[in-house]
Amino acid sequence: MTYLFQILNGIGLGMLYFLLAVGLSVIFGLLQFVNFAHGAFYMLGAYLAYAMVERGVSFWLALPLAGLAVAVLAAVTEAVLLRRVYKQAHTFHILATVGLALVVQEIVIIVWGPIGGNLAPPEGLSGIVILGDFVYPEYRLFVIAFTAVLAGALWWLLEGTRLGAIVRAGSESAEDMALLGYDTRRINTAVFGLGAGLAGLAGALAAPIRGVDPFMSVEALSVAFVVVVIGGMGSYAGALAAGLAVGIAQSLMATLWPEGARLMIYLGMAAIIVMMPRGLFGRA
Amino acid sequence: MTRLLERPLVHFALAAITVLVLPLVLRSGTLASEILIYGLAAAACNLLLGYTGLLSFGQGIFFGLGSYVSGLLLLRAGWPAPVMLPAVALVGAATATAVGWLSIRRQGVYFVMLTLAFSQLFYFLAYTFSDLTGGDNGLLNVPRPRLGGRALADPWSYYAYVAVLFLALFAVLQRVALSTFGRTLLAIRDNEARASAIGFPVRAFKVAAFAISGAVTALAGALHAMLIGVAPLSNIEYHTSETLLIMTIIGGGANLFASVLGAAFYLVAGDLLSAIWPRWLLLLGALLIAIALFMQRGLWGLVERAAALVTRAPAEGAVPEESRP
Repeated sequence: MTYLFQILNGIGLGMLYFLLAVGLSVIFGLLQFVNFAHGAFYMLGAYLAYAMVERGVSFWLALPLAGLAVAVLAAVTEAVLLRRVYKQAHTFHILATVGLALVVQEIVIIVWGPIGGNLAPPEGLSGIVILGDFVYPEYRLFVIAFTAVLAGALWWLLEGTRLGAIVRAGSESAEDMALLGYDTRRINTAVFGLGAGLAGLAGALAAPIRGVDPFMSVEALSVAFVVVVIGGMGSYAGALAAGLAVGIAQSLMATLWPEGARLMIYLGMAAIIVMMPRGLFGRA
Repeated sequence: MTRLLERPLVHFALAAITVLVLPLVLRSGTLASEILIYGLAAAACNLLLGYTGLLSFGQGIFFGLGSYVSGLLLLRAGWPAPVMLPAVALVGAATATAVGWLSIRRQGVYFVMLTLAFSQLFYFLAYTFSDLTGGDNGLLNVPRPRLGGRALADPWSYYAYVAVLFLALFAVLQRVALSTFGRTLLAIRDNEARASAIGFPVRAFKVAAFAISGAVTALAGALHAMLIGVAPLSNIEYHTSETLLIMTIIGGGANLFASVLGAAFYLVAGDLLSAIWPRWLLLLGALLIAIALFMQRGLWGLVERAAALVTRAPAEGAVPEESRP
C-alpha cells in the first residue's frame, strides 16, 4: 500500500517535472537556445505565489497570477535582452542565461532574504482524503488533476491549434517561416514567455509542497535537464514520459533509501545514457 | 606587440609575473593562493572549452573530488603530500575519463546538460556518503603540507608552495596545448566532422582532454583543501562548476593565461565588492550578460585591443571568430 502512496506522490512530482521540462524543451525546439535561467523562472513563480499568499491574496488567484507574471517578465527579457544573443555561439547563450539566473537569484535574496519560507496548502485543500486503506493529502491530488488538465491543454495548443502548427514548423525551419511572412520575432517572444510561464506555474504549484528558498532553482534546472536528456529535446511525449518516470522513481526510492533518492535520479540517467545514448524518444 | 601576445612563452612569462606580483599587491596570502589555485583550475577548464570546444559544467566534480581525496589520504591514510598529490591526479584523471566518456556520447547542448547533471550526481554522492565526506560540515582538519619538518602554516609560505606547483602545472598544460595532441584538439574544435574524416579517433581525443583537465583540476582542489584546512561540500557543488566556467569565459577563449586572468579578476572583484555589498553576484550576473552581448573575447580581448592601441595596429582579435555551430 505504501507503494501505491509513493506512486501517487511520484505522479504529482513527475507532472511538475514535466511542466518544467516541456517549457525548456519548447524553447529549445524553436530557438535552439538552452535557457539556463529556466530554474530561476521556476523559483520566481514559487516566490511570487508565496509573497501574494503572505499578503492575503487567495492561492487560487496567486497561482495563475504567478505563472502569468513570470511569463510576461520572461517575454520582456527575451525581447529586450536575450534576442540579441541568438546569433552567437551556444557558449554565450549559456553565459547570458547563467548571468540572468544569478541576477534573479540575488534579487530574490534581496527582496525575500536568504532563508526561504513555507506556504500552507490553500484553504479547502489542506485536508486529507481517505482512499481505501490509506490517507492522502488533498493538495497533492489537486496538483495531479490540475497538471493533467494543463498537460492536455498544452497538447491541444501545440498539436491542435494554428499557433502550435506555427511553433512546430518554426522548430523545423525558422528561416522558412520568416520567408512565408511570419513574424518570427514575435513568435519567439511568445514561446519564450510560454515556456518560462510553465516553469513559473510549476514553481507556484510546488511551493505549498516543498516551500520556497533561493537555491531551489539549481535543483529544478538540473532535474529539467535530466528529464530532457532522457526524454529528448523538443519532444512533448518524451518530456511527459521521462518526467513521470523520474518523479515515480524518485518517490519509490524515497521509501527504500531516503538519503539516496535524489542520487538515484542521476544514477538512473547515467544508466540510460550508457544503454540508450539518444534517450528514450530522441531523434538526433 | 599584438604578435607578441600570441606567443606561448609570453603567456608563461605572464603567469610567472603574476606569481611574483601577487605578493606585492595583495595583503592576503590566502587570496593570492586562491587566485593561483582557481587560475589553474580555470586553465584546465579552458583546455576543454577553448581548445576542444567542450563546455563542461562538471569541473566542480574534479575540484571537489580532489579536495576530498587529498583530505582522506592525508587524514585517514596518513600519506605525506608529495605522495598524495600524484594519487589525487590519478583519481581526477580516472573520474574525468568516466564522466567525459559518458558525456561525449551526446553532443552540443545535450553534452552541456549531461555534465551539469553529472555534477549533481557527484554532489549527491558526497552528500549521501557523509561518513566519508563529512556531509554538510565537510572533511575537517585537512593539514598543510610539511617542508623540512615544519607545516607551512604561514599563508605566504604556503603561497610559495602553491606557486611552484602552479607554474609547473601551467607549463604542463601549455606543453599539452602546443603538442600535436593539442593541435588535434583545435582541429576537432574547429571542425569535428573533418577531424574524424581525416582519421582521428575524435572520441578518444576528447576523453583524453577530459582526463588531463580532470587531473589538473583535482590537483587544484587538493591545494584548495590544504589552503583552507577543510574539504567542504561546496567544492563539489554546482556553484563551483559554474564559478570555474565563468572565470574561464570572463578570461576569454584565446589561451591558458587568459583563464588565470579571468580567475584573478573574479576573485579580486569578489573580494572587494563582497566587503561593500554582500549581493555583489547581482553585478556579476549583469557583467556576464554584458560579456555575452558585447565582449565575447573576454578580458584577453581587451588586453589585445589595448596592445593594438599602443602599437596603433589593428587588433587581429577584434573580429569575433565564434560563429554558431
